[in-house]
Amino acid sequence: MVLGGNNVPVDQDINCGINLIRTNLSTEEVRKRQKELVSELFNKIPVGVGGKGKLKLSGEQLDEVLVKGVDWAIDNGYVTKDDKAATEEGGRMEGADPSKVSDLAKKRGAPQLGTLGAGNHFLEIQNVTDVIDNDTAGKWGIKEPGQSMIMLHCGSRGLGHQVASDYLKIQEQAVKKHNIWIPDKQLACAPAQSQEGQDFFSAMKAAVNYSFTNRAVMTKWIREVFEKVFGRTWEDMDMKTVYAIAHNIVKLEEFDIDGKKRKLYVHRKGATRSYPDKPVIIAGTMGTSSYLLRGTETALSKTFGSSAHGAGRAMSRHAAIKKFWGDKVKQELAGKGIESKSPHPKSLAEEAPLAYKDVEAVVDSVHGADVSKKVCRMEPVGVIKG
Amino acid sequence: MKYKFIDDLTSDVMFEAFGKDLKEVFTNAAEAMFSVICQMEKVSQEKTIEVSVEAESAEELMINWLQELIGLVDIESMFFSKFEITEIDENHIKAKIYGEEMVPEKGETVVKAVTYYKYNFEKTADGYVARVSLDI
Repeated sequence: MVLGGNNVPVDQDINCGINLIRTNLSTEEVRKRQKELVSELFNKIPVGVGGKGKLKLSGEQLDEVLVKGVDWAIDNGYVTKDDKAATEEGGRMEGADPSKVSDLAKKRGAPQLGTLGAGNHFLEIQNVTDVIDNDTAGKWGIKEPGQSMIMLHCGSRGLGHQVASDYLKIQEQAVKKHNIWIPDKQLACAPAQSQEGQDFFSAMKAAVNYSFTNRAVMTKWIREVFEKVFGRTWEDMDMKTVYAIAHNIVKLEEFDIDGKKRKLYVHRKGATRSYPDKPVIIAGTMGTSSYLLRGTETALSKTFGSSAHGAGRAMSRHAAIKKFWGDKVKQELAGKGIESKSPHPKSLAEEAPLAYKDVEAVVDSVHGADVSKKVCRMEPVGVIKG
Repeated sequence: MKYKFIDDLTSDVMFEAFGKDLKEVFTNAAEAMFSVICQMEKVSQEKTIEVSVEAESAEELMINWLQELIGLVDIESMFFSKFEITEIDENHIKAKIYGEEMVPEKGETVVKAVTYYKYNFEKTADGYVARVSLDI
């Protein structure tokens, strides 16, 4: 058993993940304030490379975030216990050790809590177009098509990237020390029980907690924007977290293997958890649909409780920028009734819908394989891109 | 040619940087990377930072150098547009890097890290070539 810290096993963006927030607003109501809403959200949430954070955490506060995750966000009035209950791992992985996170990673992370970042990270206001599984949707507070939802996709920012880079170097040495053959250096890893393996696991958990907290902080700001625009409290608009799930993560979980219970380190890279009747979220790209699904027993027995996490790119960023023109992408989105905002047009071009694989085909395949089952389908109404 | 981009993995950005000597290939690699991070032509050179990086080989030095620059974007909250290498050999590099405080309007995308995926650093008849993949 080996633990890998980087690109293939976990990705540089540890706990890149999604928070899905429901509302009791109809999309019709949202459309009337669509421009204002997108503009206010864009002003409130720091986005893009260069989008500066509003919180300046001290070293002590940052360590607390790394250990306590969403509990820190509750203590500081950002989210509630209900949000925590609707977060994978309760938003806090136990065993996170800030002393295993380098000073450089902390320096990068301290000013960035509460920032969206760039690349494929986004904040969307979405419309429920189809409810496929009425019972489950009802339990999760989704009543009917035409309901407005909010989807937030981002990760652990510079802190998580640096943890991954730091441990890539450590694991590169570990590969030699423990005599592990790997086909590409980027797959560097360490035996799970080795010092290097356990140090990585403790540092990764700290980055996981940072990321859950990052999304929790932005959840509060999203609620504040809705309160301002609609003149109602967020509780009155039923803006509860449906679920907050991780995409890139390693977890020690128990599975039945040949009739025996075994604890395994499950690496979910470009994948997300699928546990029976728990929410699974698969994001499309801007301009296309996203899905809320429920996990299955099949996933537990066939895929170590995992499902696909998104559409995945069909075209590199470089190719997309050459092929698409940001302003035209914005116009095309507007033609579909989607209001979009980004720091500059190119970031829309690189994430152009055609640069991604067809999310419908991805979701049909996981649904067909019973790895996770469709609950409802959503389409964007407003897009904020970093 | 200073550098060129190569289409490989759809999720990464890959480039090859060239140089007749170490100084040139390290400068060009930094420029290639920052053309992904920000709109370099719009970034002034009003602030200077001194950078010093070490490694056991030139191959490793390139990774450490680029990784150091990625970290400085976050820590200094700056974009950089000029890289002046003052000292370089296979084990260390000293440079003055010039830029300005970052603003989203001059940004391009977040480079999360330099990866080892298909990484190559070699001496050729004309000098040096570095092939680097950036995780974005």
